[in-house]
Amino acid sequence: MVAVTALEPDAELMLRVKDGDAASFALLLERHRIPVIHFLYRMVQNQAVAEELAQEVFLRIYRARLSYEPTARFTTWLFRIAMHLALNCLRDGRMERGQERLDFATEETAARQVPDRRPTVEQDLVYEVRLAEVRRAIEMLPAKQRAAVLMHKYQEMEYSQIARVLGCSGSAVKSLLFRAYETLRARLAHLA
Amino acid sequence: MECPVQNRENADLLLNYCARRLDPETAAVLERHMEHCAACRAFGAAQRAVWEALEAWEAMPVSEEFDRRLYARIGQQERRGFWVGLVRPWWPLNLRPALSLAAASVVVVVALLVQSPQSAPGPSEVEVVEAEQVERALADLEMLRQVNLIPNAELPGVQAM
Repeated sequence: MVAVTALEPDAELMLRVKDGDAASFALLLERHRIPVIHFLYRMVQNQAVAEELAQEVFLRIYRARLSYEPTARFTTWLFRIAMHLALNCLRDGRMERGQERLDFATEETAARQVPDRRPTVEQDLVYEVRLAEVRRAIEMLPAKQRAAVLMHKYQEMEYSQIARVLGCSGSAVKSLLFRAYETLRARLAHLA
Repeated sequence: MECPVQNRENADLLLNYCARRLDPETAAVLERHMEHCAACRAFGAAQRAVWEALEAWEAMPVSEEFDRRLYARIGQQERRGFWVGLVRPWWPLNLRPALSLAAASVVVVVALLVQSPQSAPGPSEVEVVEAEQVERALADLEMLRQVNLIPNAELPGVQAM
């Protein structure tokens, strides 16, 4: 039996879910819903598909609750599932159905993504063009490099945790990130 | 310090510096190095530009229906799990051997159908029919020979006396 006091809070919650505590599952969902959906959204670049995949992630977490053992950080497990689902989705090309255009966002997405503080139409356009370039640059990265960059940049994960999520060594992650940022610097440095 | 641009092993120092994730002491050492190293300064400027560009990419708001849909799916699974739980105790006793037997029976029936004489007559049956016809023909010829309707020489396989 693992000493619960030594565990991270998420693992403690998951052990309670294992014991049948539905409120703990709700707490885990509350904590990790947005990071998981945002990660998946940036991986597949389609909001509807990202939410569908996130549903599958939490469903799998719930289904696996009875066999859960806190052998790794909860977020490592969570993002490992999310990453596998995203990679499968990219391989199957599911996100291409109803794909939002990458060059210019739709009116609806623009309204949600563009903060009101930007005063002019010209600035809006500049922002949209920059955003389209960023999305395209990320989209063109190989899937594992993309996942590594997203976890490093937006989830602020350490190399060791990214390595555990990707199932590779720490030096492999360093190499993945180095190559990915090298590509991104070539494509995005002019935006400075 | 060894130049992070020259030594790829240290390149993560520059990445972490630009991400502001370097501890203050290491950051100070790197900054002193960058004062004299044009390659590291250029690397740092380009990496900061990438970092800022990525920060501009805001994710979309999450659908308000997300939790409701998830709990509906969980409820669906729970109900399915309930019925599976009811059936499971009986499964090893009755259903599993019955299913195995049924599968084996299907295989046997399919095999018999594939080899059925209706689909294609077997060679043995053809041979039997041909042997009977030959015997009947020979008997007819022998009968004709005995009543002298045809000479011996015309009997196949019989030489003239």
